[in-house]
Amino acid sequence: MRDDATLEAFRLADSFLPVGTNSISSGIEQFVQEGRIENLDDLRAVLEAYLRNQVGTADLVALRAAHEAARDDDVAAVRAADRRLTAVTLPAEFREAATQSGARLLSLQRDLRSDPLLDAYAAAVDDGTAPGNHPVVLGAVAGRAGIAEREACLVYCHGFLTGLLGAAQRLLSVGHTGVQRALDRLRPTVRAAVDASDARTLDDLTSFTPLAEVLSADHERADRRLFLS
Amino acid sequence: MAADAPHPSFEAYAAEPVPQAAVGSPGKDGRLELTFRETAGGTALVKDYATAPFHVSGTLDHDPHPDVTTVIVQSSTGGVAQGDRRDVDVAVGADALARVTTGGSTKVQSMEHNYAAADVSLSVESEGHLEYLPEPTILHADARYHARLTLDLAADATAILGNVVVPGRLARGERFEFERYLSRVHATGPDGLLFEDATHLTPGDGNPTAPGVFGEFSVYGSLFVAAPDRDAGALSDRLHAAVADHEARAGATELPNGAGAVVRALGHRAETARAALHAARNRARKSLLDAPAPSGRAY
Repeated sequence: MRDDATLEAFRLADSFLPVGTNSISSGIEQFVQEGRIENLDDLRAVLEAYLRNQVGTADLVALRAAHEAARDDDVAAVRAADRRLTAVTLPAEFREAATQSGARLLSLQRDLRSDPLLDAYAAAVDDGTAPGNHPVVLGAVAGRAGIAEREACLVYCHGFLTGLLGAAQRLLSVGHTGVQRALDRLRPTVRAAVDASDARTLDDLTSFTPLAEVLSADHERADRRLFLS
Repeated sequence: MAADAPHPSFEAYAAEPVPQAAVGSPGKDGRLELTFRETAGGTALVKDYATAPFHVSGTLDHDPHPDVTTVIVQSSTGGVAQGDRRDVDVAVGADALARVTTGGSTKVQSMEHNYAAADVSLSVESEGHLEYLPEPTILHADARYHARLTLDLAADATAILGNVVVPGRLARGERFEFERYLSRVHATGPDGLLFEDATHLTPGDGNPTAPGVFGEFSVYGSLFVAAPDRDAGALSDRLHAAVADHEARAGATELPNGAGAVVRALGHRAETARAALHAARNRARKSLLDAPAPSGRAY
C-alpha cells in the first residue's frame, strides 16, 4: 500500500478514532454479569467464538462486498451489502451498536475529505434506504482510501478485538499485559476469520451465536448497564 | 456446482451416488402442497397434494381460535434417509388462518453417502395468518442435512415459525455426532427482505459447544413471530417476559426491519426448549389473534 493508505489504515484501527466503540461490549457485559467470563481465558474463548461465528461469516463478508462496491463506484451495491448484514444480525442491540458506530465513522470521514460515493451512501443512510452498519462503512471508506481488502478486514478485526478487550478491562480486573497477551494469542483466529470471509458471498452470510443472543436479550432489559450492547 | 447441491459445502456429498433407491426415485422425493383459503364457512384447505412419505388426512378444528384450521402432516417413514429430498409449499390466502404441524419428530438418520434436504416455502396473503411449527428435528450420528425455509408475507399478514434442533439421540448418549447441519430461513415482505437466519453446524470442528454458541446447552430452538405491521418492541418485551422464568435459557429480541420478534431458547433437553417456545407462542397468539395456543403439544 502507498504510505497514505497505510497511515489511513493505522488511523482507522486506532482506538483513538472517535466512533463510540468504547460503549460497545457485544454481550461481554452480560457474560461478565452472569459469571460466564471471569478471566482473560474465558474472554478469549468468547472472542474466538465471535470471530469464527459472526465476524468471519457475516461482518467481514459484508465489509469485503462494500469494499469492492466502493472501488467500483457502485453505491447501490454498498447499500445491498449493508441491508443484508442488518437482515442477519438478529440481536437488536448488536444492530443498534453497529449502526451507531457506522454513522459516526461515516460522518467523521466525510468531515475529513469530500468523496461523492460516501456522500451518496450517507444520503441513503439519512433517508433510511441503508442502515449504515460499521463493517460496511469501514469497507467503503477503506476501499476509497486505497487500503487493500484484506488489510481492511484486519483493521476491522483489530478494532473489534481492542474495543471488546477495552470493555473487558473496565468490567474485570485484568492488567494491560494480560490484555496484550490475549490480543496476541487471538491472531491465528483473526487470520482464519479473514480467510473464511474470502470464500463467502452475500448470499451466504451467517451469524450464529445463540447463547450470546439470549444474553443480549437480557442485557437489553438490564436496569444497570455500562455498555450499549 | 453439482446439479442439485443447495450450498457449496454440500457439493462433495451431492456427487456421491446413493446405494439404495436413487435420489428422485419414488418415496425419496416427497412433495407436499397445502393451500388454505378463506371461504364463507371459515378457512378451508382447498388444495392438498402429498406424495410419499407425506400423508395428509384432512383438517382439524380443535384450535381455541374458532377460525383457525389445522393440518397435522404425517410421514409414512421412520425418518429422513440419505438421498431424500423433500419439498413443502404452504400458501395461505387473504384473511385465512392456518396452522401446520407434524405428527412426530423429523429423525435425520445416519448417512454414509450423499445428503438429505428439505425445502419449505411459505406464503401468506393480506391479513392472513400461518403457524408453521413442525415437531423437533433430531440429527442422528453422521447425518448431513440441509433445510431451507422461505417465508413471504403480504401487507398485514402474520406468521409464527418454530423449530427445535436436537443434536442426537440424547437418551443414548449421542450428542453432536452428526456431520453437517445447515438450516436457512429467509423472510420477505411487501418491501423486500425482512430477516435471514442461518445455522451451520459441523461438530467435527468443535464449534457448537463454544461459549456464546451453545455453551453448556445442547438443544436449540427458535420462534420467529413475523408481524411487520405490529409494534415489534412491545411484542419482543411480551415474548421475553413469557420465557424469562423457564428452565431453558431463552430470550426475545426485535427482528430487523421492524419484522416482529424472535425468541431463542437453549436447553439440556428437547422438552425444556419446547416448553419455553410454547410459552412464547402462547403469548404471541394472544397478541396476534387474541386467542391462546392449543394445549396438548409442547409448542
